[in-house]
Amino acid sequence: MLGKSSPISKFWIGFLIVVILVGLVAFVLQVIKGHEITGMRDNVVWGIYIINFIFFVCLSYSGAFFSGILHFFKTPWKNSVSRIVEIITVLSLIVGPIFILLCIGRLDRLHYLFIYPRIQSPITWDIIAILTDLIGCFIYLYLTFIPDFAMLRDNSEGASNWRQKLYKSLAIGYKDTPTQRETLHKITRTMSAMIIVLAIVAYTVLAWIFSLTLQPGWNSTIFAPYFIVAGLYSGVGVIIIAMYLIRKYYKLDHYIRKIHFIGAGIVLLVISLLFGYFTFSEYFSRWFSHKIQDTNLLNTLFNKYFWEFILANYIGVLVPIVILFFKKFRTIKSITFAAVVAVLGLWLNRYLIVVPTLETPYLPIQDTRPEFIHYSATWVEWALSFAGIAAFVLFFILLMRLVPIIPMSGIIDYEREQKRHHKPLIQNQKK
Amino acid sequence: MENDIAKKGDNNRRKFLKLGLMSGVTAVTGATLLANLASEEELKASGEKIKLLTPDGKVVEVDAENINKYPEAHITPAEARKGIPNRKFVMVIDLAKCKNARNCVESCQKAHNLDYHEEFMKVQLIQDNEEASPYWFPKPCYHCDEPPCVTVCPTGATFKRDDGIVLIDNDRCIGCKFCITSCPYSARQFNWGHKAKFDDKSQPYSPETSVPAAEGTVMKCDFCPDLLREGKLPHCAKACPMGVIYFGDKNEDIVTNGEETVRFSELIKDRAGYRHLEHLGTKPNVYYLPAVNRQFPLERGFDVDEDILERYKDVPEVQDFKNQNKTKS
Amino acid sequence: MMTPFFRYSMCVLMIGLLVSTKGNAQEIDLSKYRMRFSLNTTKQHDNFRILEASFIAANKKDRKDRIPVYDAEIAFFNVLNDEEVLIGSSKTDKEGIAKVTVPDSHSYLTDGNGNINLLARFNGSDALDEEEEELSVKNLFLDLSLTEIDSVRSVVVNAFVLDSLGAKIPVEEMDIVIAVGGMLSKMPIEDGTIEDGEFIFEMPVDIPGDANGDLTVYSIIEDHDEYGDVIQKKTANWGIFTEQSKKDTNTLWSEAAPIWMYVVLTILLVGVWTNYVYTIINLFKIKKEGKQLEMDT
Repeated sequence: MLGKSSPISKFWIGFLIVVILVGLVAFVLQVIKGHEITGMRDNVVWGIYIINFIFFVCLSYSGAFFSGILHFFKTPWKNSVSRIVEIITVLSLIVGPIFILLCIGRLDRLHYLFIYPRIQSPITWDIIAILTDLIGCFIYLYLTFIPDFAMLRDNSEGASNWRQKLYKSLAIGYKDTPTQRETLHKITRTMSAMIIVLAIVAYTVLAWIFSLTLQPGWNSTIFAPYFIVAGLYSGVGVIIIAMYLIRKYYKLDHYIRKIHFIGAGIVLLVISLLFGYFTFSEYFSRWFSHKIQDTNLLNTLFNKYFWEFILANYIGVLVPIVILFFKKFRTIKSITFAAVVAVLGLWLNRYLIVVPTLETPYLPIQDTRPEFIHYSATWVEWALSFAGIAAFVLFFILLMRLVPIIPMSGIIDYEREQKRHHKPLIQNQKK
Repeated sequence: MENDIAKKGDNNRRKFLKLGLMSGVTAVTGATLLANLASEEELKASGEKIKLLTPDGKVVEVDAENINKYPEAHITPAEARKGIPNRKFVMVIDLAKCKNARNCVESCQKAHNLDYHEEFMKVQLIQDNEEASPYWFPKPCYHCDEPPCVTVCPTGATFKRDDGIVLIDNDRCIGCKFCITSCPYSARQFNWGHKAKFDDKSQPYSPETSVPAAEGTVMKCDFCPDLLREGKLPHCAKACPMGVIYFGDKNEDIVTNGEETVRFSELIKDRAGYRHLEHLGTKPNVYYLPAVNRQFPLERGFDVDEDILERYKDVPEVQDFKNQNKTKS
Repeated sequence: MMTPFFRYSMCVLMIGLLVSTKGNAQEIDLSKYRMRFSLNTTKQHDNFRILEASFIAANKKDRKDRIPVYDAEIAFFNVLNDEEVLIGSSKTDKEGIAKVTVPDSHSYLTDGNGNINLLARFNGSDALDEEEEELSVKNLFLDLSLTEIDSVRSVVVNAFVLDSLGAKIPVEEMDIVIAVGGMLSKMPIEDGTIEDGEFIFEMPVDIPGDANGDLTVYSIIEDHDEYGDVIQKKTANWGIFTEQSKKDTNTLWSEAAPIWMYVVLTILLVGVWTNYVYTIINLFKIKKEGKQLEMDT
C-alpha cells in the first residue's frame, strides 16, 4: 500500500491535478479581474465560497469531534477509522479557510486582521478558533502518528534514503519504552478531550457568524446546535465514503469490515434523525408564527428553490433513515449510498441557509439587474469548488502513500490490551 | 521605352504621394476624434462641472470649486475617526412631500463620482399594508446609534464617530462583506471590480468624502462631513426641490431643509416622526415623517426613465400604470 | 479637380471639422435666454452694507436651465440727481453674483427724502447687452440687546434712522423676525412688529445653543420697501446645552470591547495554549529519553 502506484491511481492523480489546475486558472482570473467574474452581487454578497468554507470547516470539526471521542472513550473499532478521521480533520481545515480567502475583496490587506483585530466581531472569533483548532489538530494527528513512524523507521531498510531520514526525524526517538508509552498515552488522551471541546466551541463560533445578525432566516437561537448536528452529519457521511473508497482501492477488507460500516451507519442514522429534528424545528416554527419576513423567506425557499429544498431537507434526511433503519437494507454499498445522499443534501442545506436569506432582505430589492436579484454561481466559482474537492482528495491520497492508513501501533496496542484482559480471566479460572 | 518607364515611375510616385496624403488626413482626423472621445472621458471622470456664461457670450464648463480646500482642509483617515466636536447629526425625511424627483439621488451620485446604478441614497416605493397607498421612500444610510455593521467589522474599517456619523475607511477595509450582510436596511454597497475612476489621484482620499473609492471595498452614504465642516447642507438635502430632507444637529435641536429651519424635537413631536424598523434596536438617526396629506399624487413619481420604473414592478399601482400606458399606445 | 483623392480628403476633413469640438467652448443661442439682472442690499450687524448684483441667463422655456454669467464686471454707483458716484466694482463669481462691501464710515449722498439711491451697471459686451438696475434704500439702524428685564430674559430691538442733524428718529411700524443661529442656518422663533421704534420679546428658555451654552440671536428685517435687508445679531450665554448622549465606550460597536469579552477570550486561549505547551514539553521529554536510550546502547 505504501509507495505503490498502479495505472489507475496514476490516472486519478492526473485527473485531480487537471481539476486543480483549472481551479488555479480561475483563481488567477479572479485576482486579475476582480470579483466581478463571480456571481456575487450587492445583495447576495456571500455565495458558494462561503458555503464551501462552512462545509469543509464543519467536516473538520466533526472529524475532530469523532476522533476525540474515539480516543477518549477507547472504543473498540477505533483503529480502522481513527486515522481516516484525523486526516479528514486536518485536510479539510486546510482546504476550508482557502475558500474564505477567495471571498475576501482585498487579499493584499489580509494582515490587517492581525494588526487591527476587533474582538467584538464574530469573524475575529472565527479566525482565532480556526487557527487554534488547526494547530491543535496538527499536534493531535502527529501524536497518533508517532508510534507508526517509529515502526516505519525500524522496518524500512529497503525504502529510499529520504524516507528513512523522514521517518527517523518524525519519530523523535520514540522507542516504545513503558515511560514513553505512558507519557504519549497521557498527552494523547488530554489532547483528545481538548479536541472535542475545541470542536464544539469553534463550531458554535462559526454558526454565530450567521445567527448573531438581524437577518430573517439567520437570527435563530438554535443555530449553534443546529450547525453542530449538521456538521456531524456531513462528517459521518464523508467518513463512510472515505472508508468505502479506501477499502475498495487499497484492498483493506480485513481491517475495514462490514461491522465498522454498520457502526458508522448507526451513528449516521442517529444523527440524521437529530438533523431532521433540528431542521424541522427551524422551518416549522417560522412557518407557524408567520412573521412577514419569515413568510417572505419561506416563499423564496418554496418557490425559487423548491427542488433544492426537497433534495436537502426531505430526501437528504429520509433516504438515509430508511436505508439505515431496516436491518435488511444495511449493506456496505447501501450505507455508502446513504452517506452520499446525506453529504449532497447537506451541501444543499448550507446553500439554502446562506443564499435565500440574502435574497429576501427587510427592505425589498427594487432593482432591474437580474444578477442583483437572484444569485447564480459562475464557472469561476464552480471551478474553484471542484478544485478544492480535488485538492482534498489529492492530499489524502498522497498522505496515504506516506503513512499507514490503519494505525499499526493502534492494532498492536489493542492486541496488548486484549492479552492483559484475558490474563486475569485465565488466572481466575485456574483458581 | 524609356519614357514609358519614366512615366510609370512618375505614376508610382504620384500614387505614393496620394496614399501618403490620404493616410495623413485620415490619421489627423482619427486622432482628433480619439482626442475628443478621450477628453469626453476625462470630463466624465474628473468630477463635477458647472456651466457658466462668459461676457463674450460663450458657455464654458468649469470644475466646481473644490470643496476640500486641501491641503489645509484635508481630513486624513486617522483624523476622520474623531468627529466634528459637540455635534450629533440627524436627518428627517418628510414622506408627505416626496414625489420621486430623484434630485437627491443624482446630486449625491455627481458629488461622490458614482456610476448610474450606484446609489448611496436610494428611493424605494413602499406599501405598508394592502389598504395603504404606496409612498416614495428615500433611504440613505441611517448612521445608527447601535450599528450592527460596526459591530461585525473585523478590522475596524467602519467606525462610529462621536458626532454620530458612521464612516468607512477604504484604506483599511479588507472586503469581507460581513457589514453588508449585517445591515438590515441594505444601505451598503460593494465595489466588485476595478473601475477607471479609482485611479484618479487628483484628490487625496478621505473617508469624509468617500472619493476615490477602491476596488474590493465597501461604500455607503456618509452624510457629507466635508460639507458639514463648511456649514453647508449635504448634497441630497440641498438638491431636493420639495424640501423633503431636513438635516441638522440634535444637540442644538435645529434641522433645516435649506429653506425652512425648525426645531427638531418639535418637528418629530408634531408630525409623529418615527424610525424605520425601530424594533430591530439599531437606533437609526434618520427619522421619517409619515406620508399623510400627501402633496402629490403617487403617479407624479412615475415620470422617470423606463428602467427605473421597472424596479417597482411588484407594486400593484405601477403595474396598473404600465398597463394603462400599454393600452394607450 | 474632383478626383477620387480630392473627394475622399474633402469628406474626411469635413467629418473631422464637424466632430472636432476641441476644447469645451460652445456657442449658445442667446435668443433662447432672458438676462436676469437684479440688485440687492443688506445692512450687516457690523453696520457694513453689502451691495449684491446677480446676473444670470435664464432659459425662457426651461425654468431649470439657468446659466450664471461669470467674470462680468459690475460697477456700483451712488446716484444723486444725475450725479453718479462710483462706490466700487467687482466681477461676478461662479454663481453670477458680484458683491461690494461698503464700510460704516462711507457717507452716502441722500436725496430730499433721505433715500440713498444705488445703481448697478454692466457695461455690455459684444454678445451681451448693457444691464442696469436701480434701488433706493434708507439707512436704518437696528440696535439689539439681550437683557434680563424683571429676571425675564428678553430681546429688545430698537430701530431708528438718523436725521440730518444726527438725531435718532424711531421707526413707526415694521415687521421683524427674531431668529436663533444654528450650525447650518438661522431658525426663526418669532415674527413681530416694531412699534414706535421698539420691540420687546420674551426669549424661550429651552433653546440649547452651542456647546458653551452661547446663543446667537438675530433680528432680521427682510425685503422692506424703504430699508432693504437689515440684520443685527448679538450673543449671550442663555443656552441650556446638555450633552445629548453619554459617551459610549466598551460597547459592541465601539473601539474598545466590553471588558467581559476580553476576560473570557483570555481565559479560553490561556487554557487551550497551556495544554498545547504541556503536550509539546512532554514530546520533548520523549525525545530526550529516546536519545538517552540511543546513547546508552
